[in-house]
Amino acid sequence: MRRHLGILLVLVLGVSSLAAAIRQDQPAIDELKKTALKVYLDCDSCDLAYIKTEITFVNYVRDRLEAQVHVLITTQATGGGGREYTLTFMGQNSCRDLTDVQKYFSMKTDTEDDVRRGLVKTLKLGLMSFVGRTPISCRIAVDYSRPDAAGPSRDRWNSWVFSLTGSGYFSGEETYMSRMADVSFSANRITPKSKVRLGMSVDTSKTQYDIDDEIITGTKSSWDGSGLYVKSLGEHWSTGVFFEAASSLYSNIDLGVTAAPALEYNVFPYSQSTRRQLRLLYKLSVNPVKYREATVFDKTREILFKESLETSLDLREKWGTISVSAAGSHYFHDLSKYHVDSFGIVSLRLYKGFSVFILGGYSWIHDQLSLLGREPTFEEQLLRLRELPMNSNYFVSFGFQFTFGSIFTNVINPRFGSSGSGGMSISIQ
Amino acid sequence: MKNPNLRIAALLTALVFSFVIPAGAQVPPPKPASPPPVPRIFLDWPGADMEFFRSEIPFVEFVAGLEEAQVHVVVRPERVGDRDGFAVDFSGLREFQGENNTLPYVPLPSDKPEDVKKGLAGIVKIGLLRYATKTPVGKDLSVRFLDQTKPTSVVDKWDFWVFSLSANSFLMGETQYRDSSYYGSFSASRVTPELKIRTSVYGNLSKSWFDLGDEIYESSSHGYGFSGLVVKSLGKHWSAGAFLSVESSTYSNLKFSISAAPALEFNVFPYDESTKRQLRALYRIGYTGTRYNEETIFFKTSESLLQESLSWVYEVVRPWGNATIQLEGSHFFHDFSKNRVQLEGEVSFRVWRGLSFEVGGRYSLIHDQLTLPNGGATYEEILLRQKQLATGYDYSVSVGVSFSFGSTRSNVVNPRFGNGGRGISISM
Repeated sequence: MRRHLGILLVLVLGVSSLAAAIRQDQPAIDELKKTALKVYLDCDSCDLAYIKTEITFVNYVRDRLEAQVHVLITTQATGGGGREYTLTFMGQNSCRDLTDVQKYFSMKTDTEDDVRRGLVKTLKLGLMSFVGRTPISCRIAVDYSRPDAAGPSRDRWNSWVFSLTGSGYFSGEETYMSRMADVSFSANRITPKSKVRLGMSVDTSKTQYDIDDEIITGTKSSWDGSGLYVKSLGEHWSTGVFFEAASSLYSNIDLGVTAAPALEYNVFPYSQSTRRQLRLLYKLSVNPVKYREATVFDKTREILFKESLETSLDLREKWGTISVSAAGSHYFHDLSKYHVDSFGIVSLRLYKGFSVFILGGYSWIHDQLSLLGREPTFEEQLLRLRELPMNSNYFVSFGFQFTFGSIFTNVINPRFGSSGSGGMSISIQ
Repeated sequence: MKNPNLRIAALLTALVFSFVIPAGAQVPPPKPASPPPVPRIFLDWPGADMEFFRSEIPFVEFVAGLEEAQVHVVVRPERVGDRDGFAVDFSGLREFQGENNTLPYVPLPSDKPEDVKKGLAGIVKIGLLRYATKTPVGKDLSVRFLDQTKPTSVVDKWDFWVFSLSANSFLMGETQYRDSSYYGSFSASRVTPELKIRTSVYGNLSKSWFDLGDEIYESSSHGYGFSGLVVKSLGKHWSAGAFLSVESSTYSNLKFSISAAPALEFNVFPYDESTKRQLRALYRIGYTGTRYNEETIFFKTSESLLQESLSWVYEVVRPWGNATIQLEGSHFFHDFSKNRVQLEGEVSFRVWRGLSFEVGGRYSLIHDQLTLPNGGATYEEILLRQKQLATGYDYSVSVGVSFSFGSTRSNVVNPRFGNGGRGISISM
């Protein structure tokens, strides 16, 4: 009986799809495409060419104000080492009344193709609320694959995720050779209530120059072990402790150990963190340290006490990105030994096709306690193998872009390779 | 209740109904033992054929009243222009509070009542997706477009031309070191499936300054140029085009250089699979006229050269990982020993579950450094890698292995105390 019903169902489906095929040419599909939804994709880390070839029932525009829906895709790291993609659909113009938020989670072990397919699936489903308002929606089918009965299984790892990574980089010419290698191990357990992060890493690098048969070699190496525990205290507060043990040739540190209890306050609720954060972090640290060579202050070991305050603001809105942070610290044994770091990036899409960005940072450095007591050699200076005395450093970059002409960016033409469009993009993750 | 018989009758009817409805719903394949939670919908359309809606939209549960519903769907008649149609209102309740939408449905005049019913169910289905994707049933849903469209089916008064003006600068420094660079460009391009045109003019300037204690070392370099590309599509596998460029650069010892190169490309796979795989062979033959800043190691201050090159590129992005491999060879016609061969590749693949492997590298055999200045480079220029140097080869290799294990279901985002550093990337 059921088999007959099945055959009947297949027949009905077959007939209806045949009918659909006959109906297809009536409102010619290219006419429907002209009134299709205008989409502005605002995503720094997406494979846009793939999205545009997979989702062809909308029109893509290059300016956000032209769009009927502005899709802002922001990402954050998940406890499992993957990424959380938050797709915020913001209706504009004729869809002004409509907004939606969808999420997609990638796994750490996903390949590029897994991620882009998953993201496209979520994007397609999310766009449907908007596409439903355009006539082309009559040509879209929704597929539902019934799942096999499989209840969620128990997590026998209790949310722990371990990762071992190694990488090496080697390059050279007849008169130049460079080698770099690093290995790291991490163990993380991240839940909404608490966060544990443990890591170990070792780095080494060597460069060699052959100048007039004289060989000049520069070596750098360092290792680092660190731990972090954070406990959540509601939507705005967290408390925790940092641990670190590190050694670095560049910084003249044979072994430095740090323990630092800390407290954090976020002005925005933590649940909005993918779009908005304004965090203040206070840390009090104790740091016994042993130097490789005597320092400028003629010390070979000492115990340092330090306090620091960091504040950072991150906003990701449809008009652009703002990310500003400042951090200050000082040692207790001598208050003139302080450090202030500031960093900011503002990238704005101001008006039709016009965007500007500025990014910059400035540091006041008055706490180089580990500096070498002796003068570094010429090669150590030029190859930047040793930390050099400095009072401040800075960087600034600014620019603008003005684009006009066709607003559509539907076309993907891979012939003779796809080179960049000459524009500039900034992404923050 | 006054009459106990009435109560029994009502109970019986309810029982009969509760048997009949699930039995009717069993026509499509039977539900799995523990169905995942699905959104509960109240369809507010008196006289609707509920059986039909249940079978058309199997990924939600239709409930009888607003009390248990998560989404309230109202179908009401509405005139759109001069045609009779419907408006479907979706209102989110409980956890979907505030998630509202209204979708129009206008049947064709020739549609029969069954077509209208099917069309309405289709629009209700589309409207319900946003709720379904937020429940566990979401992972079993997907959307498919039944047609192929041309990306150029749009009304565009600019005829696909895009113009862009941009300028960027970068400055950095510390007490003993300063560096600055500036870059500006104007580009005009038009890309359609049949023809690709890209042109741009650009200029750049960079300066650095070192305080080496007893002396100050300063350097600067600059360049400007034009680059243009035209490609005509010849079917699914072939393309023909030309590169044109004008360049001046202190790094490369070029006072002024102009080159034109017609080219032909063959892709073994059809171009429309390019986001998944491509295997392209590009042949170009180019004429270059150059004047040098400094006399070259071959005692030339200017020359005209003819060069041909062939490159193979294989790119693939698949569920197991991705790979790019490129082999390129070129030589000059006036002296065949002036040639260059370069092999470049990058492969990243998932060996097994949490184990992934990445390897990349480049190897070049270089016998065509015709532009090297005769004067060589200073000691500082060498250490700071500011001038091209004479070399017969160069290579680079990078290898990476990553193995992770443990919980696979940890989708938790916990932004407290920062989320493992902030990365900023700027691409031009």
